[in-house]
Amino acid sequence: MSDIATPPALATSSLKTDQMFINMGPQHPSTHGVLRIALTLEGEVIVKAVPDIGYLHRGTEKLAEVRGYHHCIVLTDRWDYVSAMPNNLVFCLAAEKLLGVKAPARADTLRVVMCEMNRIASHLLFMGTYGIDTGAFTPFLYAFREREMVLDLFEMLCGARLTYNYIRLGGVMTDVTPEWIGRLKEFLVYFKPRLDEYNTLLTFNPIFMARTKGVGCITPQEAVNWGLSGPNLRGSGVNYDARKHDPYCGYETYEFDVPLGEEGSCWDRYYCRVREMRESVRIIEQALAKLPDGPVMAPGVAKVPKPAPGESYAHVEASRGDLGIYLVSDGGISPFRMHVRAPSFVNLAMLEEKLVGMKVADVIAILGSIDIVLGEVDR
Amino acid sequence: MIGYFTNIFRNSRALVSGHWITLRYMFKPAVTIHYPDEKLLPFEKFRGALLFDANTCISCNLCVKACPSNCIQLENATNEAGKKVAKVAWYSIDFGKCNFCRLCEESCPTKPKSVWHALDYEMIFTRRDEMVRCWKQGFAYVGKYFDSKSKEFKDPEGQISIHEIPPRRN
Amino acid sequence: MSDASEDNKPAPPDVSPPTPPAASVAKPLPKPALPKPVFPEAKLNHANGRLLTDRFATWPQAIFDSAWSRPSYRMGAGLLAGIVIGLSVMSIFIGELTPWGGKIYALLESLARRQALPAYVAPLVWILIKVLIVLHIILLNGLWAIWWERKISAHIQSRVGPTYAGSPKGWNFHGWAQTAIDGIKLLLKEDITPAAADKWVHALAPAIVVVPCVIAFAPVLFGQNLAAANLDIGTLYIFAFAGITVIGVVMAGWGSGNKYSLLGGLRAAAQIVSYELPRGFSVVPVLMFAGSLDLAVIAKAQEGYWWGVVPKWFVFYPVVGQIAFIIFLIASIAETNRVPFDIPEAESELVGGFHTEYSGMKWSIFFLTEYGYVLLGSLLLATFFMGGGASPLPFVPFTLIPSWLWMLAKAMLMMFVFLWVRWTLPRFRVDQLMDFCWKFLLPWSFANVILAGVYLAFKWA
Repeated sequence: MSDIATPPALATSSLKTDQMFINMGPQHPSTHGVLRIALTLEGEVIVKAVPDIGYLHRGTEKLAEVRGYHHCIVLTDRWDYVSAMPNNLVFCLAAEKLLGVKAPARADTLRVVMCEMNRIASHLLFMGTYGIDTGAFTPFLYAFREREMVLDLFEMLCGARLTYNYIRLGGVMTDVTPEWIGRLKEFLVYFKPRLDEYNTLLTFNPIFMARTKGVGCITPQEAVNWGLSGPNLRGSGVNYDARKHDPYCGYETYEFDVPLGEEGSCWDRYYCRVREMRESVRIIEQALAKLPDGPVMAPGVAKVPKPAPGESYAHVEASRGDLGIYLVSDGGISPFRMHVRAPSFVNLAMLEEKLVGMKVADVIAILGSIDIVLGEVDR
Repeated sequence: MIGYFTNIFRNSRALVSGHWITLRYMFKPAVTIHYPDEKLLPFEKFRGALLFDANTCISCNLCVKACPSNCIQLENATNEAGKKVAKVAWYSIDFGKCNFCRLCEESCPTKPKSVWHALDYEMIFTRRDEMVRCWKQGFAYVGKYFDSKSKEFKDPEGQISIHEIPPRRN
Repeated sequence: MSDASEDNKPAPPDVSPPTPPAASVAKPLPKPALPKPVFPEAKLNHANGRLLTDRFATWPQAIFDSAWSRPSYRMGAGLLAGIVIGLSVMSIFIGELTPWGGKIYALLESLARRQALPAYVAPLVWILIKVLIVLHIILLNGLWAIWWERKISAHIQSRVGPTYAGSPKGWNFHGWAQTAIDGIKLLLKEDITPAAADKWVHALAPAIVVVPCVIAFAPVLFGQNLAAANLDIGTLYIFAFAGITVIGVVMAGWGSGNKYSLLGGLRAAAQIVSYELPRGFSVVPVLMFAGSLDLAVIAKAQEGYWWGVVPKWFVFYPVVGQIAFIIFLIASIAETNRVPFDIPEAESELVGGFHTEYSGMKWSIFFLTEYGYVLLGSLLLATFFMGGGASPLPFVPFTLIPSWLWMLAKAMLMMFVFLWVRWTLPRFRVDQLMDFCWKFLLPWSFANVILAGVYLAFKWA
């Protein structure tokens, strides 16, 4: 850390130029929370970039070791606070493996619906904030207008707009009502044409494309080496999606495409997310069409679960990538160890290499395009 | 040469169509609400401020155990002989810690629920004391906070009821 | 749960409860009726307000579908139409403003003669009056343009913008007093000079930014022959003075002692100097057609109508007029540092760019200047390309309206374009901005000059 705290020495160059050291963040309009990037500039070109994380560390992995399994779900809400449903889901999947519980079919379908709705909400937020990063303010508020509807639906269903605590061990919190399903269908009908509007307004805007196309390109090999996941990986053209390749909650029964990018640029990553929203709409429609009857909670989940000693790993395709949880139980009422494989944290690792040689404006474009949530990076 | 002009044409068309969208929305009404003058009524299941009823509570400690952030504390009432009875002497929720997760409400065995989420989303705390809300027999559902300066219980100042009678699920 | 700590026990239980002790209810009594819940009075906020019970009525599609059935929407449309019509009728009664200048000057002269003052007094006072008028146009434009930008951006974004500022008694029509009150707030704010700043440069920069803006307004036309000064070289004069502002911006960037400001200042220097060129060259065809640098002559050259309906404005000259118009518009937006050319202040990259470290009135002077230049650009667009104060159609209701209102309407239309562009487009990158200027706008403005020469050679214009 000592090398980022002190400004670098003068550059030895034939021209008499001076390198400049800039702290981007933690208080900066577009670091998406509290990320600090220590930049060394040569004019407007970056010669060194060091991301500095940890400003939002809350120690949830350690907290989980003194809390019961039901309580941990509440903790998971706080990692990726803009898409908390997959967080709930992945913990429940891991804990259900330990407990030997299987969620009923209706609960599985509802979990899929919720995760995809949350993916829409999360990608809308990404799209809006990425617009702000590149200087377009209006798409942000359009995106939030639609995101508000998803949050309204969540509020109607489970009472919270951000930290849901909806997916529980062995099922889900409550069943959906016919009115709720009607409203969701109404939203989907409204939402589909809006995607075209976003594409016209932002995605295919020539200025936006000039800003993001060919910027921050990641080759497929690099993406795999860095362990990227989610739209960041697929933007580079690597076809990996946990929903397809390691299906959970019955994702194998849905028909959807995995959008892939071409050159792995910021625009590809962005456009992957926009197309994923459309795929999410498709999945939700299929799920609503085949929503089975039955209970939403499996019987036999104790109030204070004490799984047998053992370990389990579960991973889901969260909005930001492959979110995994490794749980170890020692037979007590709380996990012996919980480890989170947070996609934002892994995706952030590429910044240090990819920023070198870019302009200051590109820092924002690249940082925005990998779509980090600092709550998940620092946990 | 032709490519140059088609490029210009395509880019200008994309820019103009973007402007057309913003112009169209300009002539549509706003979707926002004027917050302090208009307030949204949350849905029935909304997890707002926690309320407590000291009359129905049986002091079973389930909510204390269910709370993931240890924000609930209670103390049993005792009768003249000093034996514990199924009544609550005092009960407190620390809203500085509360997650609004509804685990306490779900675990409450009484009918109607003794601790439940109201629809109130306008909780304002100007002091740390106000975050810890206390209840006893005779206190209103909203509870009071203990003012550490004047050493007395006071009504919370920052609480505004969105709804007159908060729903109370069985 | 194991870590339930002792330190946050909320209330000492020894405080006497205000009701009978809990022990008395231990006996199995018949269940008492639940007491009516008592809620404390709302104290910190407005009263409950109007409770919107139907959430789904606030969903966008429900609102968009029923636009005209909403009374507020109908009222807004009616008010807008009323303002436009009322302004037009009022202007017809007021008539042209040009004769008033002569009347006031005659009055001044007679007053001076009666007081037996020297001969230079009357012209001096008259110049002072004109300077004050122009200065107040810029100041009022700041008030108006900021409010308008907020409203336009809000409505573009499905919001409402300021609604409360004004009067507590309901005379708060769309927050009309918002910018005035903001201005008072800015005046009262602490004026911070950072410790690392170069004090003199930091303090001088806003002045150097705003003074050329005010001076540049001298020959600008506000109607037919309605200008503070009649300059033969008006066009050159405006461009020359508008170019000085960049020095102030660079000073602000350098003098703030902030690296973000420094980057912003450097970017501004590069950008504004570059865009001066296409901006100047795009006007050259207009000057060639009009044969003069005098703004009044340029406006007069656009009088008349083709086939009795299409006005002979330069913007309607086929190909050459449109190219010049678009290049001038783009370059004007770039000169004012607004989106998509706002890289000097690029909020998401440079925090605030060259005005990061400014606060209070110094900061607002930068904004005053920005909006002053927006107005200048709009007025120049109206003068150069849209016939100045000429009516767009040679029919009675249009020709009755005086030239100053037409000028105002055209300038406001152009100002709306400025705002509209700002709230639609993303921002360029530095190198793309330069590419766009040097590789696209500048060659095209040269080509346009040649094209205009061809027009003149064949006497098409």
